[in-house]
Amino acid sequence: MKRIAVIGSIYKYLSHVQHIADRFLVGYPIHGAWHRPDMKIVSLYIDQKPEGDQSAERAREFGFQVYPTIAEALRCGGDRLAVDAVLSIVEHGDYPRNDKGQVLYPRYEFFRQCVDVFEKDGRAVPIYNDKHLSWSFEHAKWMVDQSRRLKFPLLAGSSLPVTWRLPDLELPLGCTIDEALMVGVGGSDPMDYHALEAMQCMIERRKGGETGVRTVQMIEGDAVWKAGAEGRWSKDLLISALSRSDTPQGFTLEDGRTQDLVGSGELQRLVKKPAAYFIEHNDGLKTTLLMLNGAVQDFNFAARVRGSGIKSCQFLLTPVPNVTYSACLVSKIEETFETGRAPYPAERTLIVSGMLESCLTSKMQGKRLETPHLKVSYQAPKQSQHATA
Amino acid sequence: MLAERNISRRELLAGAASAPLLTGTQARPARPRIAAITTVYFKHSHAQHIVDRFLEGYGWNGTHHHPAMDLVSLYVDQVGNGDFSRDRAKRFPSMKVYPTIAEALTLGGSRLAVDGIVLVGEHGKYPRTEKGQVQYPRYQFFQEIFKVIRASGRAVPIFNDKHLSWRWDWSREIYDTARELRLPFMAGSSLPVTWRTPSLEMPLGSRVREAVCVCYGGVDSYDFHGLETIQCMVERRRGGETGVKSLQAFRGDAFWRANKEGRWSKELMESALCRSHTLTPAREGFNDIMPTTEDMQRLVKDPVAYCYEHNDGLRATMLLMGGLVKDFNFAAKLDDNKTLSTQMYLPMPDGRTTLASFFSPLVNNMEQMFHTGKPTYPVERTLLTTGLTAAGVDSLHQGNVKLDTPHLASIRYQATTQSTYWRS
Repeated sequence: MKRIAVIGSIYKYLSHVQHIADRFLVGYPIHGAWHRPDMKIVSLYIDQKPEGDQSAERAREFGFQVYPTIAEALRCGGDRLAVDAVLSIVEHGDYPRNDKGQVLYPRYEFFRQCVDVFEKDGRAVPIYNDKHLSWSFEHAKWMVDQSRRLKFPLLAGSSLPVTWRLPDLELPLGCTIDEALMVGVGGSDPMDYHALEAMQCMIERRKGGETGVRTVQMIEGDAVWKAGAEGRWSKDLLISALSRSDTPQGFTLEDGRTQDLVGSGELQRLVKKPAAYFIEHNDGLKTTLLMLNGAVQDFNFAARVRGSGIKSCQFLLTPVPNVTYSACLVSKIEETFETGRAPYPAERTLIVSGMLESCLTSKMQGKRLETPHLKVSYQAPKQSQHATA
Repeated sequence: MLAERNISRRELLAGAASAPLLTGTQARPARPRIAAITTVYFKHSHAQHIVDRFLEGYGWNGTHHHPAMDLVSLYVDQVGNGDFSRDRAKRFPSMKVYPTIAEALTLGGSRLAVDGIVLVGEHGKYPRTEKGQVQYPRYQFFQEIFKVIRASGRAVPIFNDKHLSWRWDWSREIYDTARELRLPFMAGSSLPVTWRTPSLEMPLGSRVREAVCVCYGGVDSYDFHGLETIQCMVERRRGGETGVKSLQAFRGDAFWRANKEGRWSKELMESALCRSHTLTPAREGFNDIMPTTEDMQRLVKDPVAYCYEHNDGLRATMLLMGGLVKDFNFAAKLDDNKTLSTQMYLPMPDGRTTLASFFSPLVNNMEQMFHTGKPTYPVERTLLTTGLTAAGVDSLHQGNVKLDTPHLASIRYQATTQSTYWRS
């Protein structure tokens, strides 16, 4: 039975640690059955213990130890690495923000301590890193490089790429994408990250795979509508993405009606502070993330695929508290731990970590940025990885 | 130009039992005119969800789709606080509100003047029967509609929202009259046509041993949706639908006894629960945890089961487990011992979403029938689930007795080859 160490920021009801680690403790629903992983959490490091902390309670009930340091958690109090896999979940908790508005979650610092143990003890084990790798691309790149250097599987990212899609859309591997657009909602930098990664898992399937990002620009406010009018983002794609939404605001809240938010002009009335993230890839593909708080409350994607027109879908975020989409993610984590192979590349999360950081820098500097450092190329997995069965 | 054959007065007087009003090769107008006959039109009423989609359009196939037809007339039986029909009529002058069903169908004239009819008899203040059924006036609405159709000698497609009627004999009469008049006729719930998570279908010709739906809601209400959830899947089994020979309902303690005795498969119940997105956490501090039977007994205050047996031996069970789930989940055991399960996903505007998008595929299926004159799935499905709903109510009312259902044993039909649930 594989032994797992959990290193996390906080362990509290509805925190990511609770969502993810609990599924290893009590099982989770997948493929129409309650699945109990043949793995055991043996140690826990938790960085902060706010009110409502569950770490001691879980350790008592499920028979694992809480250690005061990451190294001790990985070594289970001994002198050598004593686990077969690491869950690193640094989301939620009280951490400062930088001037770009990024929460400075210590994911890199946690990871670095794991790598230290791996190096000292001469053995490396798979790591799942929840969400983006780091707020800093430089750190994120280092993390991915270490997994290569020490040859341990690294899985990272959001659950949006693996959740159900409405409709169950997958772009054909090797297709030509003329343009893509994502609609997201929520704050920066947690929710824009999810939206960018959802878009990335779709467009990485294009001909030639991912080639890296050469420029980014982020704008806010009326400039977003102006950019649309000038054709910097596609109105047709926006109509298509929004046609997938189940959560239009405004009149729908008032009297239940369906709405063509773009055609009616309601969109501009509802969204007080739109934001656009423009990403230009090295192969020329231009993609846009529109954060449209006030208009909808879900995540929707659209792309113009050569030869088959506009394709669009919603990434289904199922309700709290169950957030069953996180079960889809845990199934991928378990697969990584079990097989020693990540079902999709950490480079996806690396490039998204980098484009987000650069977008936020662009917003601060008020200009488009060249991003030669984002020359991250990789191929998408052949098999679809989202919830289809 | 409509190529519709007028029925002669002599044929009408003769009862017209064998005289079809329509031939199968009927040409349909390029832009059909539709009448909606409804009980109420308030926010989140079925009429609002359905009629609004004709008026405002809706998200479909990745665009904002406007049906290529005009909903020109509306009848609303009860207009009170919160009514939006007058607002809609003002905003859409192409639609007029009429004070009677006949006028809505004739557009104030003397003959049927629309090419399709939507009947939405759901919500509104109507008395209950002693068994607790709400007496929605669908049968009475149908009588008015049939009267105009007969008098006009022109048959048009009808879609009826939900079950045909709370009373079996009336439901059968509606079905028989629609057949007699050769009306293209569809009915039912949005459960069969909505998204599925995951997006999968019962393979046509499967051998199905047992089927279970775990869902929520009340008797003579969401039970119907649960029954339609099961039926749209099992009707695809080898041989098609063969009719139902008996039904027994369980409620309260009898439900838990039946559960313990294995009246339905625990494995299938668990499989269905594993498709839910809303499983109530059975333990404080856990967000998603499989409940024990004791947990379920604590969480589900008013459990209801309808266990029924089809003529070909298929056993099916609809489980209302409010308090445990807030969605519709299906599981079936196939002959190769494989379990097939999915959720019929309803984006529910109870806080989870703002738009009941599951009405979009329902309206889209209506549109197809209004354009082609051909139902996209058989109304016999809903005739059967209508009868099952009434039988469930009767069994509960008579103290959970097993009821033979000879009237449902003769409902045989074949499923459509094509899937009709939402995939695009």
